[in-house]
Amino acid sequence: MTASALTRPGERDRPISKFQEIDWTFCLALCLIAGAGGIMLFSIAGGSWTPWAAPHLFRFALCFVLMIVLAMISLRIWFVAAYPVYAIGLALLVAVELKGDISLGAQRWLDLGPVRIQPSEIMKIGLVLALARFYHGLPPEMAKLSLRLLIPATLIALPALLVAHQPDLGTAVLIVLTGGSLMILGGLSLRLVGMGLLGVLLAIWPFVTFVLHDYQLKRILTFLNPESDPSGSGYHILQSKIALGSGGLMGRGFGLGSQSQLNFLPEKQTDFIFATLAEEFGFLGCISVLFLYAAIILMALRIASISHSHFGRLSAAGMTATFALYVMINGAMVMGLAPVVGVPMPLLSYGGTVMLTVMIGFGLVMSVRVHRYDEVTSGRGALL
Amino acid sequence: MSEPSIFFSEVNERQGIFHRRAFLMGGVTALGITALVSRLAYLQLIQAQRYQKLAAGNQFNFQLVPPPRGLILDRNGVYLASNRPNFRLLVARERGMDVDKTVDKVAQLVPLEPDRILRLKRDIKRAALKQPVSVMEDMTWEEFSRVNVRAPELPGVTADMGEVRVYPYGGAFAHVIGYVAKVNDRDLAAAGPNPDPVLLNPGFRVGRQGVERAFDQPLRGRAGATKAEVDARGRVVKMDPEGDIPATKGKEIRLTLDADIQNRALEVFGEESGAAVVMDCRSGDVLCMVSAPSFDANRFVRGLLGAEYKALSEYERKPLLDKALSGTYPPGSTFKTMVALAALENGFDPNQTYTCHGVFPFGNRVFHCDKSHGTLNMHDAIKTSCDVYFYQAALSCGPDKIATVARAFGLGQMFDLGIEGQKRGVVPDRAWKKAHFSNQPANQQVWYPGETPSMGIGQGYVNVNPLQLCVMTARLANGQKALLPRLVKSVGGVDQPSGAAVPDLPVSKEHLQFVREAMAAVTASGTAASSGALGLGPILMAGKTGTAQSHTYASGSRKTEHLGWALRDHAWFVAFAPYDDPRYALSVLVEHGGFGATAAAPRAREIMRTTLLKDSEIVKRIEASGQGIAAAAPNVDSGAIDKAAPAPDSTPIPGVVP
Repeated sequence: MTASALTRPGERDRPISKFQEIDWTFCLALCLIAGAGGIMLFSIAGGSWTPWAAPHLFRFALCFVLMIVLAMISLRIWFVAAYPVYAIGLALLVAVELKGDISLGAQRWLDLGPVRIQPSEIMKIGLVLALARFYHGLPPEMAKLSLRLLIPATLIALPALLVAHQPDLGTAVLIVLTGGSLMILGGLSLRLVGMGLLGVLLAIWPFVTFVLHDYQLKRILTFLNPESDPSGSGYHILQSKIALGSGGLMGRGFGLGSQSQLNFLPEKQTDFIFATLAEEFGFLGCISVLFLYAAIILMALRIASISHSHFGRLSAAGMTATFALYVMINGAMVMGLAPVVGVPMPLLSYGGTVMLTVMIGFGLVMSVRVHRYDEVTSGRGALL
Repeated sequence: MSEPSIFFSEVNERQGIFHRRAFLMGGVTALGITALVSRLAYLQLIQAQRYQKLAAGNQFNFQLVPPPRGLILDRNGVYLASNRPNFRLLVARERGMDVDKTVDKVAQLVPLEPDRILRLKRDIKRAALKQPVSVMEDMTWEEFSRVNVRAPELPGVTADMGEVRVYPYGGAFAHVIGYVAKVNDRDLAAAGPNPDPVLLNPGFRVGRQGVERAFDQPLRGRAGATKAEVDARGRVVKMDPEGDIPATKGKEIRLTLDADIQNRALEVFGEESGAAVVMDCRSGDVLCMVSAPSFDANRFVRGLLGAEYKALSEYERKPLLDKALSGTYPPGSTFKTMVALAALENGFDPNQTYTCHGVFPFGNRVFHCDKSHGTLNMHDAIKTSCDVYFYQAALSCGPDKIATVARAFGLGQMFDLGIEGQKRGVVPDRAWKKAHFSNQPANQQVWYPGETPSMGIGQGYVNVNPLQLCVMTARLANGQKALLPRLVKSVGGVDQPSGAAVPDLPVSKEHLQFVREAMAAVTASGTAASSGALGLGPILMAGKTGTAQSHTYASGSRKTEHLGWALRDHAWFVAFAPYDDPRYALSVLVEHGGFGATAAAPRAREIMRTTLLKDSEIVKRIEASGQGIAAAAPNVDSGAIDKAAPAPDSTPIPGVVP
């Protein structure tokens, strides 16, 4: 079945046709990164599948199946679900705010009996869907600069403020940046973007003074000069840089990274797993993984570009932006270019929540690819 | 299909915008990834070495291994200072360590008093990270193994085998060798801003006196390290013996001293105070240099209690003072050898006779002699130690000439022994007096003729230490060379320069021979006739007694036996033997001992006997003569040595070694 099959209505709704439209190269890249994560987690545990490597791979397998299933779902359904998902996410964030489970000093989790959910993760998907849907129905001249843009701005600001108040600065920044990317992709005036950036720079001072928690400020300040406080706040960054640097070109070898094996590296299995990879597999290992990340991001952007619907384009690009921001922020943090904000390296780090979010996001991206010739309308008729 | 809600042109327009901006986003991504790759290249390729070092610094913990301190041996290889194993318990503070809890746990393993526990907690909290603090020394094997078994669950707690300095002959060498003691703040301050980390090691000791102090650097050696792989919490994951840096042992120092002679010398002093120095009068090697009473250096290694130190420093007979080097005393009649030489060199006729009636009026003073010797020449004047003769012999040449000869024989001189503590003493002459009293009125600066007779009998301003008198005797005995004393034979196997590579004495050999013959007469039939006989067959000793005033006598009486210890005369004896082929020279001082002939000479004889019997050639000579070795010297009151004046307080002073 070729792509032309998709152009024939009826033909393209058959599951088999859809399945064949899935981008398997893209899937391979995802599997390679998750596999690399599994290898690293196996190494960090001292050559053991438990406690991290096996659950990591198992979760990835489940998430992968979920992604394929999600890829089959018509864009129209995504489209219809967009606002409800956002609304549920927002409601849960408010719920967390009101009665949250204190974990690691921050209220991020909501305990619903057997399931613990992190509403900020739902919001990452909900926001992208909601913005994509909003822009889908927005005339282009309005997308550039109009009062109507207060709506997406509010859509972004509400969850961002709630998340920042948890406090989870990393995710809040991620939400703002993702939303901002979508507004730019949607056609926001670049002049306004420039002015906005200037405004942000000017706003930094009151933000630092009145909004940031002490530990947040300390983290930000120490990242600039980690050696100034090697045993305190600078410890994470310094140890991470030591792990990276000592890897050299070829790395110290599988299972031989002293920084991670001897626990000098904090959060070695989650946020700082890239440093472990760098220590054991060196520069070559790192650029291979970064290459895979770059390939995934570019392939996803390409998928977004070939979609016939504006909703498809924006939702795929929005999920890509989320993913790319994860990679950039975590990479910069691990390498000492950004403060420690608690953003994991997607697919590589141990942790189910982020993996689920990212794979649902890729399910959406894949759905955009599979349904790229579909038109989506905001009309009622499209729903059924 | 349902109607599109958006017009085609609009679709095109925003599709175009999206494409351009998606392309931009791809560019930004590529830029971001490139930035990350560049950063990686910088860290992993350019700075790799630096971070590898830091990683190794994290991963490996080098624990300092203090070097074994160099041994100190006598001339025959007998250990004078060595090291014995010491099981220690150390606690080093680590990040996140609960000091109170750790010390409490340690206290369950080894006996610690509550006070000590409190002090330890404070000390450990105050110490730098990873800086071990000594919790207990000299643990028993059981305690040591108990701690070792439990150590893995107590991070920061280690039991190790250190070494502690030990002086097998606690007292005999205490002044020469000195002792080692804990590093104090002054040592650290002296070490500069980056002190050798070994100084901070709790078991480390630095030399405080004598050879230990003077040769502290070569004795120290270089610290080594054991390499251990540790995790982030400082626990040892595994040892890495291949990464160990072995400690370099301190250099071995061999002294010229002979342990047997030294020990015997201290023994013969009993409770008396004094000093004895024995020199090889061919090489200049110092075979014995002892100061009595002494103290147990081992106590100083452990750390002296305040009360112990107070008792030692306040005891009248000054055990802490090295009297052989740091004590200066008037030489008394032993100085007559110098006066005789000076007079002879000045053209004095040794056959010139004077008559001694026990007094010598000079100017407006009357100088005394201990008895009326009658008419005698210089030989007999030395033999019987007639003061009246030497008042006049001294006047014949004047103070400057006497001083020149005395200095040529080592009096008033400092010698390079390698250790500190020598006091120069005084050999006076006109220039000395002028300089010494330069801040006094002019009439106090001139040398009065009335001061010369006192100098002639080794009194007045003359002040020397026992080492100088031994050097004088050795030079007399040598008969040719201005020998230098040598105390340190070799350092780390490198021989120190011999004391015999020196210029000749500036006096004629005949005059020297004359003085030596007179000294032989002293022990044969003179003042030390009863106490100077060695009892070693053909081996004879030549000597000179000295009884030196320790204070100005009240008019008339010259007897001091009835006075308190501190007012009695100092007893001297200088000697060399064998007389016919001089090998060994000695000087013995018994501080406030009374007569030289009775207090010093018998002790000198014992020391000389021990010295001679250690020389195989001398023993052969005695055996060849068929006369055998007498157990004790004949016709001598052998109890003289034991009749030492009892110490004023019979309570033993802690640490004082008689």
